[in-house]
Amino acid sequence: MQTETTKEIVLQVSKLKKRFGNNIVLDDFSFELHRNENIVVLGKSGSGKSVLIKCIIGLMKPEDGSIIILGKEVNEMNAEELDKTRAKIGFLFQSNALYDSMTVRENLEFPLRRHWIKHKKEEINQIINQALSDVKLTHTIDMMPSELSGGMRKRIALARTLILKPEIILYDEPTTGLDPITAKEIIQLIIEIKNKYNTASLIISHDMNCVKLASDLVVMLIDGKCYANDTYSNLKNSQDKNIKQFFE
Amino acid sequence: MKNNSTDNIKLGVFVLGALFFLILLLYMIGKNSNMFGDNYILKTRFENVQGLKAGNNIRYAGIDIGTVKSVYFINDTMMEVKMVIDKKAKNIIKKNALVYIGTDGLVGNKLVNILAVKADAPYAVENDILPSKKPVDTDEMMRTLSKTNNQVSKIAEDFSITINKLNNSKGLWQLLNDHTIADNISNASIQVNKSSYKINEIANKINDIADVLKNGNGTLPKLINDKNLADSLTAAINNFKTAAYEITEAGKEINHSVALISKEVNDGKGSIHAILKDTSVTILLEKSMENIETGSKGFSDNMDALKHSFLFRGYFRRLEKRNKQ
Amino acid sequence: MDSYINAGNFLKEVGEIARFTLKFLITWFKPRYEIKEFFKQCYVIGYKSLPLIGLTGFIMGLVLTMQLRPSMVDYGVESELPAIVGIAIIREIGPVITALIFAGKIGSSIGAELGSMKVTEQIDAMEVSGTNPFKYLVVSRVLATTLMLPILAILSDAISLYGAYLGVNIKGETSLQLFWIQVIDSLSFNDVIPAFIKTYFFGFAVGIIGCYKGYNSNKGTEGVGKSANAAVVVASVLIFIIDLLAVQITDLLGYN
Repeated sequence: MQTETTKEIVLQVSKLKKRFGNNIVLDDFSFELHRNENIVVLGKSGSGKSVLIKCIIGLMKPEDGSIIILGKEVNEMNAEELDKTRAKIGFLFQSNALYDSMTVRENLEFPLRRHWIKHKKEEINQIINQALSDVKLTHTIDMMPSELSGGMRKRIALARTLILKPEIILYDEPTTGLDPITAKEIIQLIIEIKNKYNTASLIISHDMNCVKLASDLVVMLIDGKCYANDTYSNLKNSQDKNIKQFFE
Repeated sequence: MKNNSTDNIKLGVFVLGALFFLILLLYMIGKNSNMFGDNYILKTRFENVQGLKAGNNIRYAGIDIGTVKSVYFINDTMMEVKMVIDKKAKNIIKKNALVYIGTDGLVGNKLVNILAVKADAPYAVENDILPSKKPVDTDEMMRTLSKTNNQVSKIAEDFSITINKLNNSKGLWQLLNDHTIADNISNASIQVNKSSYKINEIANKINDIADVLKNGNGTLPKLINDKNLADSLTAAINNFKTAAYEITEAGKEINHSVALISKEVNDGKGSIHAILKDTSVTILLEKSMENIETGSKGFSDNMDALKHSFLFRGYFRRLEKRNKQ
Repeated sequence: MDSYINAGNFLKEVGEIARFTLKFLITWFKPRYEIKEFFKQCYVIGYKSLPLIGLTGFIMGLVLTMQLRPSMVDYGVESELPAIVGIAIIREIGPVITALIFAGKIGSSIGAELGSMKVTEQIDAMEVSGTNPFKYLVVSRVLATTLMLPILAILSDAISLYGAYLGVNIKGETSLQLFWIQVIDSLSFNDVIPAFIKTYFFGFAVGIIGCYKGYNSNKGTEGVGKSANAAVVVASVLIFIIDLLAVQITDLLGYN
């Protein structure tokens, strides 16, 4: 699996602009994500990190700029192409977004049935079991999301994100609201996944522990601009006032 | 998945249950208006259908056997009514059956009545035109009724005026309310009764006296010759006569008054109230009563005088003794 | 509710609901069809509402009969009780009471469900999973309410009539057959069909409003509660407005 095509660009964001009314959230924001690379987008709450990944996945339309995923411009895709592209992207929501009315199995089945309609039942069951064993929660298969703890829910959500074997995974604050131990487990899973499936990940976080452990590169989002783009250790040693405040 | 399929079964039962009820409801309503089932068409013609509409019932001998399907013009004076009749009536309705438009109840919906006629005829078949009877025109009926009504109301008005006048008539109420008159009348009749009884009695006594006189025994014949006695007896009898006369006169007067009233009532001269209002009649009645009273009083006075006359004292004593025995 | 007093907000709301409805009308017949979800919603929305609708329908029929009896007796037309109750239930009480109860139960549950899905990003998650959430959530629910309310209304009519039958028999004696014949005799297609058709619109209104309010719920749990509440209020008002329009239209078409 570890084919070293490290420099292949899977996601390229350039000069992205997004505003809500007079509030400019993203302004000329640019960065690149390569295969088998974890980038952490670091920024204050409300600095537009979530807006960024929602633009990437096509849930929001940016006012200007381009987002190229696997060689295709998101903003020029029709619905069908967008769906196809989305099938290659995993999205872990901040609030997990597990479907309350469905069991864990149905939650995992949902994206499968959507994107791989033709698949057989046994095949699907096998994939679900595999995904659950990846997150070590095989026993919860027939439980409802409301019966699970926060950490379990996060892991199920992660399993659902991974079930389509995405090439790019977008994590929206994966460790928010979790205790430090569970958070660490999740971070470990994120790293494992990268190594196992050779994926590229974009992690949005303000959890420094997560940044430290999971990031290959850190993109600092300040005032809608890409303020810095460097490794964790380099940034930690930076003397810049704005960067420094994150590490204190 | 199992769960899902039982859910769908329940859903199916649920939906089918509702559809069943809906269809049943619509079927029953449809059946009511003879939309389904075996029917045949009969027709009839009217000059005026009086608001008969499609859907109105058709009755034969009081039973609903069909509905009106449509009403349409044939020409400027003729309407044709198409009737959907239940097949069951096929061997009942004859070609000569009379059709007329009626009403369900007094103010109900219009309906078509089919009336069997005694005369023999073949059974009516599909699209036969049955003879129709000119319908009872309710408008005409209403007009007559309204005329009658007017008259009744006029009569009622007159009547009410009369009643009002009677109510307001002082004389009548005085008459009806005046207890004294009623008392007087009843007193008077008691007096008359008494008087006649007494007259009877006196007559008997005079008879007795006469018997005694005839027999001629005792002192009485002598007494007869006594001029005083003879005079007083004559006077007594004269008085008696006068009293009797007076009573008769008073009775005549009453009779006359009553006759007058009844005559005038019978002749229909003037209205009742006028008669009754006429206080002169009342006065007349009162006067008659008075006369009767005075008459009987005079009579009894005479009788007392007779009793006290020394001549008859012994006689009356004996009479009393005899009564005691 | 304060926001409703503001005319500008009100008009904006009406416009957005109209746009939402238009989106539904454009979307619903296009593939792909969420058949499974539709049946699931039919089960939840229709079948699961039956006990509540049945209970209220039964009580309405019974109470209506008992309330009408004294005046009917006063006018000496006690025997017409089944006819008048039948017409009242089939034409008005059945559809409207059912729709209002339905709005209370289903409108609020749809509003709250979609509201919480919106708030917890489940709707976004669906979209990301290659599912049109509008189709999956809104179309299936609106179709389910549109098709299930008439079914519920008919069953409610039936149960109401049974309640009325019992009501007639509390102080009188009527056989079920005579009651049924009297009811049927007093009814015509013009009573049943328009009343039946309007329930589709009631159902549609409840579905659309519930989905609109949920789908456009504000962030936070308070937003969910508000959506649920507003869904019931707006849907109930809309039911009365549609009822008014229905009677005008049937009158205009001469089917009244």
